Amino acid sequence: MSKTVLVCCGTGCLANGSAKVAAEFHRLLEGSDHAVEWLVKETGCNGFCENGPLVKIDPDDITYYKVQVKDVPEIEEKTVLGGETVDRLLYKNDQGQRVRSQRENPFYAPQHKIALRNIGAISPTSVEDYVAHGGYQALRKALTMTPEEILDEMDRSGLRGRGGAGFPTGRKWRTAAGYDKFPKYVACNGDEGDPGAFMDRSILEGDPHSVLEGMAICALAIGAEEGFLYIRDEYALAVKNVRAAIAEAEAYGALGDHILGSDKKLKLSVVRGGGAFVCGESTALMASVEGRVGEPRAKYIRSVQRGLWDQPTVLNNVETLANVPVILLHGGDAFARMGTEGSKGTKVFALVGKVKRTGLVEVPMGVTLRHLIYDIGGGVQGDRPFKAVQTGGPSGGCIPAELLDLPVDFDTLKSRGAMMGSGGMIVMDDRSCMVEVARYYIKFLSEESCGKCTPCREGLRHMLQILTDICEGRGQLSDLDLLEELCHTLADSSLCALGKSAPNPVLTTLKYFRQEYEAHILEHRCPAGVCAALTSFAIDAEKCVGCGACGRACPAGAVSGERKQPHVIDPARCIACGSCREACKFGAVVTKGKVAG
Amino acid sequence: MDLSMEEIQTILNRYPPEQRYSLAMLQDMQHQFNYIPRVGMEALAEYLGCPLSSLYAMATFYKALSLQPKGKHIIKLCDGTACHIRGSTALVDGVKRLLGIGAGETSPDGLFSLELVNCLGSCALAPVMVIDDTYYGKVTLEKLPGILAQYQEVTPS
Amino acid sequence: MNITIDGKVCTCEKGEFLLQVARRNGFYIPTLCHHEALPGQGCCRVCIVEVDEGRGPKIVVSCVYPVERECTVYTDSDKVRRQRGMILSLLHKRAPDSELIAQMCAHYGAPALERLPNVEPGKCILCGLCARACSELSVGAISTVNRGVTKEVATPYHDESPVCVGCGSCASVCPTGAIELTETATTRTIWGKTFALVRCAKCGAVLGTAEELALAAKKAGQETETLCERCRKVALSQVLAHTYGDE
Repeated sequence: MSKTVLVCCGTGCLANGSAKVAAEFHRLLEGSDHAVEWLVKETGCNGFCENGPLVKIDPDDITYYKVQVKDVPEIEEKTVLGGETVDRLLYKNDQGQRVRSQRENPFYAPQHKIALRNIGAISPTSVEDYVAHGGYQALRKALTMTPEEILDEMDRSGLRGRGGAGFPTGRKWRTAAGYDKFPKYVACNGDEGDPGAFMDRSILEGDPHSVLEGMAICALAIGAEEGFLYIRDEYALAVKNVRAAIAEAEAYGALGDHILGSDKKLKLSVVRGGGAFVCGESTALMASVEGRVGEPRAKYIRSVQRGLWDQPTVLNNVETLANVPVILLHGGDAFARMGTEGSKGTKVFALVGKVKRTGLVEVPMGVTLRHLIYDIGGGVQGDRPFKAVQTGGPSGGCIPAELLDLPVDFDTLKSRGAMMGSGGMIVMDDRSCMVEVARYYIKFLSEESCGKCTPCREGLRHMLQILTDICEGRGQLSDLDLLEELCHTLADSSLCALGKSAPNPVLTTLKYFRQEYEAHILEHRCPAGVCAALTSFAIDAEKCVGCGACGRACPAGAVSGERKQPHVIDPARCIACGSCREACKFGAVVTKGKVAG
Repeated sequence: MDLSMEEIQTILNRYPPEQRYSLAMLQDMQHQFNYIPRVGMEALAEYLGCPLSSLYAMATFYKALSLQPKGKHIIKLCDGTACHIRGSTALVDGVKRLLGIGAGETSPDGLFSLELVNCLGSCALAPVMVIDDTYYGKVTLEKLPGILAQYQEVTPS
Repeated sequence: MNITIDGKVCTCEKGEFLLQVARRNGFYIPTLCHHEALPGQGCCRVCIVEVDEGRGPKIVVSCVYPVERECTVYTDSDKVRRQRGMILSLLHKRAPDSELIAQMCAHYGAPALERLPNVEPGKCILCGLCARACSELSVGAISTVNRGVTKEVATPYHDESPVCVGCGSCASVCPTGAIELTETATTRTIWGKTFALVRCAKCGAVLGTAEELALAAKKAGQETETLCERCRKVALSQVLAHTYGDE
């Protein structure tokens, strides 16, 4: 029986050197005497990037982590040819045991993969590989169905848009199908811009055919013959793989003038994004596809009615589209059995920040934040106290520890002032300053606002100024009321979703972490020790063992001390960057308010 | 600067003269020259028969496009949320100390440009730095000089 | 169909913009970026009103809000007044030299926001009407430049525009008079470029710049105009009189 060596070549693993690992396997394969038949495949992102490069051997179902080129000959000899494991490359679970299969790995075990179903198992662009894993069967089935039947199946699934707003996908398609105006367009929103989210990148890189198939099914349902995938230019590998997949799909006959031999046609092409967060908004994205400045327009007339070149257009997010073939193939009812009352199916989350196991995880809707962060994520790095989890990117909010048992779905998060958004989950500990986090998002948004409407352009400018003042010790208590007032104006009167949701990071931090704002304003102290103007560090001589780690980490040369003697920080040279605190293994660096003078 | 009109023409010839391809043509110029040369934008306006102002609006709107020539090596420091809370700000200061350039600046010798970019989608490796097309994960102030040294040209002694 | 605005029943067509319906029925809603010749700008947000379509009131922008179903409209509710005041205050910080904005702030009781600094001196509220007028009615010499908080209106590279014809469309649509247009007896200066003025061959009234007249002639496929509209009518009636005139 032949063996397959799957080398993860997602952006994360590539950064850790997986291309060289794959090349080494190929080199050994060429020199192999073929006593055992084996082959090497470069796959998309497995989601556990922090432990990359990942190498999986099938059918043995053994996954190795942090594989380096020097490990490759041993893997070939022992596992590929010999059927043994190389223990030191296995994952060590929370009990300290080394585990062979991903199913025993606490990061993967609780996951339920639908959108990510093929990633890591197939060669991303290969249409043969995709078909061998059941690809394009849903499209074949859709060709035997009427548009009405496809729409019914989508309605039954309860699928809601994964890009953030959570609009029911079936309803969107049905509206577009209802317009007797041609041409119509189908478009894929791959302008993933939420900082901290990368599921769309992973899907486009690792399983582009699933998205193309979803678009083709949508085109059949609404009567479109042309479509676009708008992908961030920064995602070079995603652009490359999607283009290659389109070419392969056309050669195979899944796209083009006769979809799988029928009289239906669909032409898809890639449009590279120009680097503007606002282009994730549907009308701005469409302006950009048309070759204009990506400014949104008033959406009282929806883009599903008047979209690209004023024609009916369905725009869906990458993850949404990747779910579509599964729904068609196995039925909307099966899909709707997963998840919660209002949010069906699974959701991919990017679990990042100060959590032990970071990466992409796909779980049924409705699991709790605690399950995500503690069971899958393994808890907070260094076992520090959990402070908040930021969900939904700049449109989302910060959720405090007391809400960790919230089930995660569209409606629950919204009711707490946050948002599921595209599924970014950024874990923060006691060393994350919530005022600074709010300032960070408002700065991000003030740079990314298109600047068209007054509340967003002018409001964000002043909100940023106020938040910066608070972070630098110039805040007043009345600023908090003014911030709230500005937030309401943005939320009610902005032109597009960027401005309307921009207040969320400020409002949620004000609601759940007001005392932290007050500490900055009234005590001139940043409790987290992040805001440099309000922070100083000192070394607790009792706890310091004199190892010198802090001194080596200090970029300003502010730490001095003899080896094995307590060290001291020179406040005059200290830039309050916190490097020493991160470096100290003994908790000897203490955080204080700004020292006067 | 000696810019080949031939290279500009090659880019234009890849696309039909339609507005919908204007962003793609500008991006191709950016990739080719590391910025949008004025002659390139003017040639594009003529090719499309559109006002120069509409292209200038795009070139200043989209962050992937730049009107200033960039350095030979482009350092992209990710300031996505995950990188931000794992210390990207300290790295900006670190680059400033080592190379003397802040975000959006190019070193006087034209060797480096520093860009503070939005999330690169490699959050699991935070903080992330990309130089040209090479990704560096979990970058620390300690690692920074070694990484940059690979790109600093050795001055002959 | 019928909608109710501030208690008054008003008749309108489906799809008609709310601002239009309100104004026809005698309600005054303030606007800045709304211009009859360039509809749909919808960015200053001063014309907000509250609309209730049966699911509770929500803020909408009346100049671009199409009436699709029966609804109740409040043009001057507490919420509208508070939000409009805030928007005007923000515009005042942006354009502290605009008398119009200052007057509107006073009229609508906008908060002073002393805590916030002025953005920069000037009158421009960045509504972008000028850029649209230029691209849709003239030559596209100016556009919005940059984005977000750094947005401005300018010529490419901030240079003197080689295509500007000095027609002044931009200045005439500007709600706050922010675009500087100066004229002497023989010249007009705008966007840093000076044009020679052409006068009516008969009465001497200003016709426009030479470039502007040439562009208009080219668009219409006619000879460049040398007379003002009044003298042209007089001349035309003389020709007619000469041709058909009393014997």
